[in-house]
Amino acid sequence: MWLVSVFWVHHKKRAYGETMSSKATSLGKESEISQFQNLVSIFWPSFLVASLSTILFFAFFDPTELASISGYPEVSRLAGYTIGFFLFWFISAVSSGLTYYFRQPCHKPVSESE
Amino acid sequence: MANDNPNSKAATKGSENSDLYKKREKIYPREVHGIFATMRNLAMVALLGIFYVLPWFDYDGHQAILFDLPARKFYIFGWTFWPQDFIYLTALLLIAAYALFFFTTLAGRLWCGYACPQTVWTEIFIWIERKFEGSRQKQIKLDKGPWNSERILRTGGKHAAWIIFSLFTGFTFVGWFTPIDSLYSDIMAGDISAWGIFWILFYALATYGFAGLMREQVCIYMCPYARFQSVMFDKDTLLIAYDEDRGEPRGARKKGIDPKEAGLGDCVNCGLCVQVCPTGIDIRNGLQYQCIGCAACIDVCDEVMEKVNQPKGLVKYTTEHALKGGKTHILRPRIVVYAALLMIITGALIFSIATRTPLELDIIRDRNVLYIENDEGLIENVYTLKVINMTNNDQTYRLSVSGLQGLEMEIRSDEITVETGGVAEVPVRLATDPENLKTASSVVNFTIESLTTEGLSLTESGRFLGPISR
Repeated sequence: MWLVSVFWVHHKKRAYGETMSSKATSLGKESEISQFQNLVSIFWPSFLVASLSTILFFAFFDPTELASISGYPEVSRLAGYTIGFFLFWFISAVSSGLTYYFRQPCHKPVSESE
Repeated sequence: MANDNPNSKAATKGSENSDLYKKREKIYPREVHGIFATMRNLAMVALLGIFYVLPWFDYDGHQAILFDLPARKFYIFGWTFWPQDFIYLTALLLIAAYALFFFTTLAGRLWCGYACPQTVWTEIFIWIERKFEGSRQKQIKLDKGPWNSERILRTGGKHAAWIIFSLFTGFTFVGWFTPIDSLYSDIMAGDISAWGIFWILFYALATYGFAGLMREQVCIYMCPYARFQSVMFDKDTLLIAYDEDRGEPRGARKKGIDPKEAGLGDCVNCGLCVQVCPTGIDIRNGLQYQCIGCAACIDVCDEVMEKVNQPKGLVKYTTEHALKGGKTHILRPRIVVYAALLMIITGALIFSIATRTPLELDIIRDRNVLYIENDEGLIENVYTLKVINMTNNDQTYRLSVSGLQGLEMEIRSDEITVETGGVAEVPVRLATDPENLKTASSVVNFTIESLTTEGLSLTESGRFLGPISR
């Protein structure tokens, strides 16, 4: 999760320069999509999908059994659910993040951001 | 129409939240009284009551409703469900989805206005906020003012109360998924697992953030239902609307003046409908997707209409058809189809739970050989039976077979014992004289009967293979 955030902020800085907040606001007006909405569009759908995946996956597979056949017998069920949930969230956040990234236009006029 | 949004005017200087948000104008919903406010409060008390109180009730020696994730079983009063019962959860989700479709088509955003956890928790957070920071006007003044001792005390107190309430909410939330009694005593003894603490804090943070800080932004930006609910609307769907023909042209007027003579509509432009709105919209601008259908504007406008001696209902629950002077049709194809589907799935779910046997029997044939002819000239088939005990206690079962004449059964032990929630694998060898086999494949019935619980039995059929009949 943290990795995705770092990637996102880094990308923002690169694309719009260090005066991120002011630029982003004006960009927000152009596209009528706020920063908040951009963040939400990455982390919220992935959260929903991760919740669903966690329910579906662990309805069929017992985390303690998965842990013991993988050689981690000390992992408890609650720990297994938690790790599973965040793994699903991370993976789907990466997917949402890439979708967000590829939706950007390829070339930005340099003069605008410098 | 000049923009006369008193909420924004008052709040522009109030506070702007951090950069992550859209430059958001903080909304200070004004307190409202009336029939719909009462209904909303009743719904809030009922729903929060269920959430906070129900986990403490016991039934038959266990927590009445417990989705016991660490033990992988769900208790709902007398029933116990196992991961094998996943189909019921699917049915339940289908019912929830169709119920949402049905009620949305019929009555618009009832869910949003009265039952959504986001709405319900936001309301209780606003209630706490009012206890500390006072009415809307006082809150606005407080936010504009300096950080003096009063503001620190009031705002700090509010956040402290929110955090305590959120932590309690997180604790209760986890209490739906692990036994709340032992969770409580673990916390008191300082002996709670790290994962338990983690989920309590996670849910507490979500509650604090969603209901305390983000509020209407969750509905506007984050809620998928808010985005797609409009496709379920038709011209006969109940919605909250301002009667433009009656209200316009709006404007302030002196007491005792006949508005018609002054060329005015019924709307006195007091702006209260905007002040009470939890999402900060002006209902007079028409149907907006930000409207969560809470009906606060109806209550407050009715109050005003009463004061100025005009009939109530300038803002009211209505339909597009009714608004245009037509008739509202309640029974329409969509409604009928949704209702029918809802009844069919609900009926099927109730029927299958009522007739559910807490016992499962899987018959797996030996894959290596079709059949064996043994020393005595009998035809033998080998099976592995999987017996799953889905009751709350350990069970002992007895197996019997039927379907073929002269069937002999060889089994390790006459009695099969399976612990609660457990699975037993039982190898079984069946043999019969080839004379009894009329076809290459015959049906045999395995019946498993509980010796522990009277009347608990299950019959499943399997195949018995032999040589091609002579």
